[in-house]
Amino acid sequence: MDETVAEFIKRTILKIPLNELTTILKAWDFLSENQLQTVNFRQRKESVVQHLIHLCEEKRASLNDAALLDIIYTQFHQHQKVWDVFQMSKGPGEDVDLFDMKQFKNSFKKILQRALKNVTVSFRETEENAVWIRIAWGTQYTKPNQYKPTYVVYYSQTPYAFKSSSTLRRNTPLLGQALTVASKHHQIVKMDLRSRYLDSLKAIVFKQYNQTFETHNSATPLQERSLGLDINMDSRIIHENIVEKERVQRITQETFGDYPQPQLEFAQYKLETKFKSDLNGSILAEREEPLRCLIKFSSPHLLEALKSLAPAGIADAPLSPLLTCIPNKRKNYFKIRDK
Amino acid sequence: MAGILAPGLGVLAHLERLENQTSRSRKRSEAQAQERVLGTKIQKLRHLRDDPRAALWHRRGSVKACIANVEPNRTVEVNEQEALEEKLENVKAILQAYHFTGLSGKLTSRGVCVCINTAFEGNLLDSYFVDLVIQKPLRIHHHSVPVFIPLEEIAAKYLQTNIQHFLFSLCEYLNAYSGRKYQADRLQSDFAALLTGPLQRNPLCNLLSFTYKLDPGGQSFPFCARLLYKDLTATLPTDVTVTCQGGEALSTSWEEQRASHETLFCTKPLHQVFASFARREKLEMSLVS
Repeated sequence: MDETVAEFIKRTILKIPLNELTTILKAWDFLSENQLQTVNFRQRKESVVQHLIHLCEEKRASLNDAALLDIIYTQFHQHQKVWDVFQMSKGPGEDVDLFDMKQFKNSFKKILQRALKNVTVSFRETEENAVWIRIAWGTQYTKPNQYKPTYVVYYSQTPYAFKSSSTLRRNTPLLGQALTVASKHHQIVKMDLRSRYLDSLKAIVFKQYNQTFETHNSATPLQERSLGLDINMDSRIIHENIVEKERVQRITQETFGDYPQPQLEFAQYKLETKFKSDLNGSILAEREEPLRCLIKFSSPHLLEALKSLAPAGIADAPLSPLLTCIPNKRKNYFKIRDK
Repeated sequence: MAGILAPGLGVLAHLERLENQTSRSRKRSEAQAQERVLGTKIQKLRHLRDDPRAALWHRRGSVKACIANVEPNRTVEVNEQEALEEKLENVKAILQAYHFTGLSGKLTSRGVCVCINTAFEGNLLDSYFVDLVIQKPLRIHHHSVPVFIPLEEIAAKYLQTNIQHFLFSLCEYLNAYSGRKYQADRLQSDFAALLTGPLQRNPLCNLLSFTYKLDPGGQSFPFCARLLYKDLTATLPTDVTVTCQGGEALSTSWEEQRASHETLFCTKPLHQVFASFARREKLEMSLVS
């Protein structure tokens, strides 16, 4: 086994927390059951890793096997990366998409290898008709850097792909081209949507963030939502603004629904607007150039936070449509200009 | 009868009266004829509706009679509670029956939630939902349509201008997809013995590629089939290529078989073709032994 491959596998396994190790190794399916049984997972991590490397050497792990382990690790730790969303489009009147996975993989690999000579491309298909692609980038003269790969998750026979943000921006056009050509599309465009949570991005992009639907068979009739007020509360206590509270609850429920919101970490608004004022002759009103500013809302779970603003009394209901349109418009980067 | 005071006028007026009378009676008889035709049509439709209903009531009645016979102590009196329960069951059954129409919907607070129930060859398959918000413009709020069905494209073409067309087009795509998926699933589950390798398929099930043998374990060469379904609203392939893995020049009988298989795959659903292969094989085996 190559020194670099051994080192690469070692560093990957070291990243895996002990409680996930057996699961990930089983998913990797490279070391056999018998081999895994010989390992004592209760030792100190370094010893476990050493033993595993020894087993990998016995089985002569290749760079491809190591790359596959890296993909599986990333699949288990998706939110360590920030994901961008890309949308492809076909030309007008193009043929029906007869997607052939083998053809796609070959084509994708060939395009990158033709351009860069030194590049490692690995694939792993998942059950949800998505293919995870791992690309380690090199140049004409340098070997690929296995420690800074880019991941692409492509949902076949859809126009959408998700790409992990990386600092190596110069390869993005080539990657876009490879993806577009291999999947028989014409153009690729980056959407203004970004998050660490791949599942949430998928739910927003494919409009599947709510999987409950009203049918005639649904057992629950439309119930009045309890305001979270204690029903056993003393009848001598009356809430002064109960009407207003009910109104806020109703509006919040209409806007956000009853389902868990997809998870985003921020929403960013770039404003470019001219100053508007009632006072005439103010210096700012005369300014020709628009004012520029950037507003960023951050939260561990932005949409749930927005949903709780009005019921908590912090904001008026209804909230600004700029905030509530995020899942519907599928963006969390906005540019607002004067019309 | 008009008087003979103004004979000319009187006659003309009389003639006019007679003309009106005939046209009126003609119109009346036409209307009556139409009424009769519509009446018979209504009766026919009523029969169509009532016959299964009558059959259902009959069956209910006979079931009740059976129960009464089994438990002779139970009195079969239809009190109010029971009558209401029966009505409720009836309504529920009718609503459930909407599933068999393939397309049903329920009004929601902001629009309508459409349910598309797919079927193939009389088998009820998966259901898909589309929740529509009735606003200007009409938009899809969320849905459970698989991501590879071109919902966005169909919506872009029809949703704003002709919602019926949108729904029917979506039904077409989903039913065809369900049908193709059903055939591929059946092939994998029921006829795995005849396949010599894994079935290659894509999400839309519109490109299927597999190798098969007519006599598993026998000496014959396996066939390779590649089925393309370029029409996403169809459950039969548009292009079929069957080749023989032997590589050598095929004898005429093999060539005939190959060509006939190509035709079979084009004209019959996949699992039915394999069912006929399996039957033929069984028949040949029984003839040989």
